[in-house]
Amino acid sequence: MANVRDSNSAAPAAKPGIKPGIASPFRWLRARIGAGRGQSLILSMVSLLFAGLIWHLLSTFVFNPFLIPPPLEVFYAAIPMIKSGEIFADVAISTTRVLVGFLTGSLVGIVAGVLLGRIRVLHDLFDPIIELLRYLSPTAMIPIAVIWFGIGEMSKYFLIFWGTLFIVLINTIAGVGRTPIARQRAAECLGATRLQIFVLVVIPSAVPYIVTGMRIAMASSFMSVIPAEILAADSGIGYLLQKSSMLLQTPRIFVALITICVLGFIVDRIFRFFVDRVLARYMSFVAVT
Amino acid sequence: MLRVTDVRKVFGTAHDTYIALDNVSLDIADGEFLCLLGPSGCGKSTLLNILAGFEPPTSGSVTADGAPVTGAGRDRVMCFQDAGSALFPWLTVEENVRFGLRVRKIPKAGWDSIIDKYLRMVDLDRHRRKFPAQLSGGMRQRLQIARMLAVEPQVLLMDEPFAALDALTRRHMHAVLLEIWQRTGKTIVFVTHDIAEAISLADRIGMMSVGPRSVITKMIDVDMPRPRDLTNPRVAQLFNEIEALLAPDLARAE
Ligand SMILES: Nc1ncnc2c1ncn2[C@@H]1O[C@H](COP(=O)(O)OP(=O)(O)O)[C@@H](O)[C@H]1O
Ligand SMILES: [Mg+2]
Repeated sequence: MANVRDSNSAAPAAKPGIKPGIASPFRWLRARIGAGRGQSLILSMVSLLFAGLIWHLLSTFVFNPFLIPPPLEVFYAAIPMIKSGEIFADVAISTTRVLVGFLTGSLVGIVAGVLLGRIRVLHDLFDPIIELLRYLSPTAMIPIAVIWFGIGEMSKYFLIFWGTLFIVLINTIAGVGRTPIARQRAAECLGATRLQIFVLVVIPSAVPYIVTGMRIAMASSFMSVIPAEILAADSGIGYLLQKSSMLLQTPRIFVALITICVLGFIVDRIFRFFVDRVLARYMSFVAVT
Repeated sequence: MLRVTDVRKVFGTAHDTYIALDNVSLDIADGEFLCLLGPSGCGKSTLLNILAGFEPPTSGSVTADGAPVTGAGRDRVMCFQDAGSALFPWLTVEENVRFGLRVRKIPKAGWDSIIDKYLRMVDLDRHRRKFPAQLSGGMRQRLQIARMLAVEPQVLLMDEPFAALDALTRRHMHAVLLEIWQRTGKTIVFVTHDIAEAISLADRIGMMSVGPRSVITKMIDVDMPRPRDLTNPRVAQLFNEIEALLAPDLARAE
């Protein structure tokens, strides 16, 4: 695999007469990052440019540009927000809320999930409650959260915590429960104690499920922080959306919407990078032979 | 010596029971290579799990060297059919072997040489830093065997370990296993549904009938020199005999 890619990417640069970088950007990218990835990167860029073009055409020729401002207008609206740092302040506030709620929710979800997944009595005791409460989305909890915690930071932390908790909890329980019996028994006859089987076999086996749960929870945190900020905050991206809507500033609304997309994407990439770096060895599902 | 006396195993609830094993008795001598042969679903794994101590028999008893088997024991280690799920996928080849040494609190100073010895024995010493996902099916099964041997048990319990391998790899694995057995003098209880496999490996073959109420119908001594070639008329004759014995059961199993 690696060899094939190397020889592919080395070929164009080595050919005499073709100046790398000028002859063709496609070639150049290929040479830099390998054929497969170069191609998909280019396609991604094409896709984004194409979407931008369609957007421009639609807003200019089909829809009312006040309702759907064209890309350039959104870009012009973004510049002062970037220059003043306003947008970054909102991003920082929303991201902090997400991270605090997400990390505490994940921590509690993992610890509780590992225990509930392993200890039968606890599972049977708490499962009915979890099965009911999981249907209360963070959005449904906003009104009561405001009464409990006000519109300060705590209510947002709580709402993100709430959303994260159930997703991570349910995935962790599933992961712990799905450790292959053969693996546990193998450890047992190799000489592991019950505690060792739990810590050294069951928990590592559950990591892929836990990580999957955390990734879903991360995405859903970014989704649920927005309504929380729209309804109960005086800062953050959701508040920016709400304020811009009141003032009928559609370009600013679009800036905020795009910011949410980009932010969610970047945070997910960072999360994946971290998982690849630190947890890679736990992430392989060995195919059944 | 392993002794199985009148073992019954009943699965299920009070209303819906399945009698998997019915009064199975069996003696396994030290150093013996015993194959349990029977059609799928006849209770071979069930019997092996009871021997390992993973599951208690419903009635009857199992003893290892006179002591009753009540749980997994240090002297009996199981090799599972699906190496992919039995191995620790987050540990490298050598770390998988090290796991047993660590939990048995074998002094650290000896680890390297033990790991070296057994990885060499199964010809995996050049792949020490690979993860199970990077190994072929046969290599994974060899790793499972090395991991098992490294804790130096007296009895190896093997549950159709080579069933998923292609014929060539399986032949190679048979040679590897026989060599290890001859070199180490372990007791091996080897479960299979493959007549040829049982004949090429076993000192004795325990034939099991199809369930429910499976029993050991016959013990067959295979006193022929190894390697045993199916083109050898004596071997071929034994194959046919066993096939004829299994035929009515196979028809029922279908
Ligand atoms: N935990 C269980 N609960 C209920 N029935 C079981 C269980 N384990 C095995 N059985 C039944 O016992 C029989 C023997 O199973 P098994 O020992 O796995 O067969 P083999 O290994 O010979 O293919 C099968 O009919 C199977 O359905
Ligand atoms: Mg079986």
